[in-house]
Amino acid sequence: MENKEPLSPHIQIYRWHISSLVSISHRITGIVNIVAITLICLWASLLLLGESKYETIEFFLNSFLGKFIILGLTWSFLFQILSEIRHLIMDFGYGFELQTSKITGLIVIIGSIVLTITFYLIGKNFI
Amino acid sequence: MVQINLPENSKVKKGNYFKDKTGSKNLRKVNIYRWDPSTEENPRIDTYEVDMNNCPSKVLDILNKIKNELDPTIAYRRSCAHGVCGSCAMNMGGKNGLACTTPHADIDGDIDIYPLPHLKVKRDLIGDLDGLYRQYQSIEPWLKSNSKSETSEIIQSKEDRKKLDGAYECIMCACCSTSCPSYWWNGDKYLGPAVLLQAYRWIVDSRDEEREARLKKVADELKLYRCHTILNCTSACPKGLNPAKAIAEIKKMLATANL
Repeated sequence: MENKEPLSPHIQIYRWHISSLVSISHRITGIVNIVAITLICLWASLLLLGESKYETIEFFLNSFLGKFIILGLTWSFLFQILSEIRHLIMDFGYGFELQTSKITGLIVIIGSIVLTITFYLIGKNFI
Repeated sequence: MVQINLPENSKVKKGNYFKDKTGSKNLRKVNIYRWDPSTEENPRIDTYEVDMNNCPSKVLDILNKIKNELDPTIAYRRSCAHGVCGSCAMNMGGKNGLACTTPHADIDGDIDIYPLPHLKVKRDLIGDLDGLYRQYQSIEPWLKSNSKSETSEIIQSKEDRKKLDGAYECIMCACCSTSCPSYWWNGDKYLGPAVLLQAYRWIVDSRDEEREARLKKVADELKLYRCHTILNCTSACPKGLNPAKAIAEIKKMLATANL
């Protein structure tokens, strides 16, 4: 009898809102960032193997896919940082009102996109 | 453990369709989660066409209308119908709330009605809340004042009484706890917003003498710190309370207290 009872639907039916979206994105970008840092370390250690290897990586990073990955990681790092600041403020006990949390959540989402574009433009002008 | 997909016996199938017989022009489709414990079948979604011209404003009114006029087999909990008892907590339009205080006009499109999320279903819209009640019992939600006389009044200042505002109004409807993804994945250990709000209510009660013991009790990795401020709880609470803030306050107390 015990196992016969079904489990009611949960994540399949629950509506998303800003705060839950920021929370799940925080986790996903966190995992992405850990992988990214590992890759950056690998990249750095590949430098030791000499100029030809470095040029291969350079070529890859300048390809469309490479640029996409770099921009994606830039966004993911920026999102993580902004969201972490939001978490810190919440740890002090502020920003729990529904309206406030929605606004801070939007700041994190829009802010990370705007900053990514800014970083991209800065990079373009300097290179 | 995080299990995104529903188990095999919980997969929801398409159910029966109840066509309107009144000939009304003002119809709404209502999709309701059904499960009959007397059969071996999976849960299903039954769809009802409801005549909205003769239906009062709340989701509970729709359910009553369906039970009275279309399908008497449907089961759901309800009692006061005024947002006080907390019996008719369910998931409507993807959000938890009380059916008796949720206007159906607030839900766009078809009205989807499910039991509270991630519970063992007893029947149709009735979820099993035993686990939550056991957790509620575990925080010992009663006044502990051993040193004081039981016959005389324990005086509380207005300021101290004010600390209980936003906590004592909770009706234990479980809308918040069953909206919380952390509670879905770790409901066996994590206390969840409803119980933690009550834990907070007794921790801050100036008349209670077991504050430290209570704090120590919830200062457990899984009991308390599984809250990741998703705020599903606060946005679900039909009484407008803020369990997420109460949990943050407990965390703050633990960070600053010298236990």
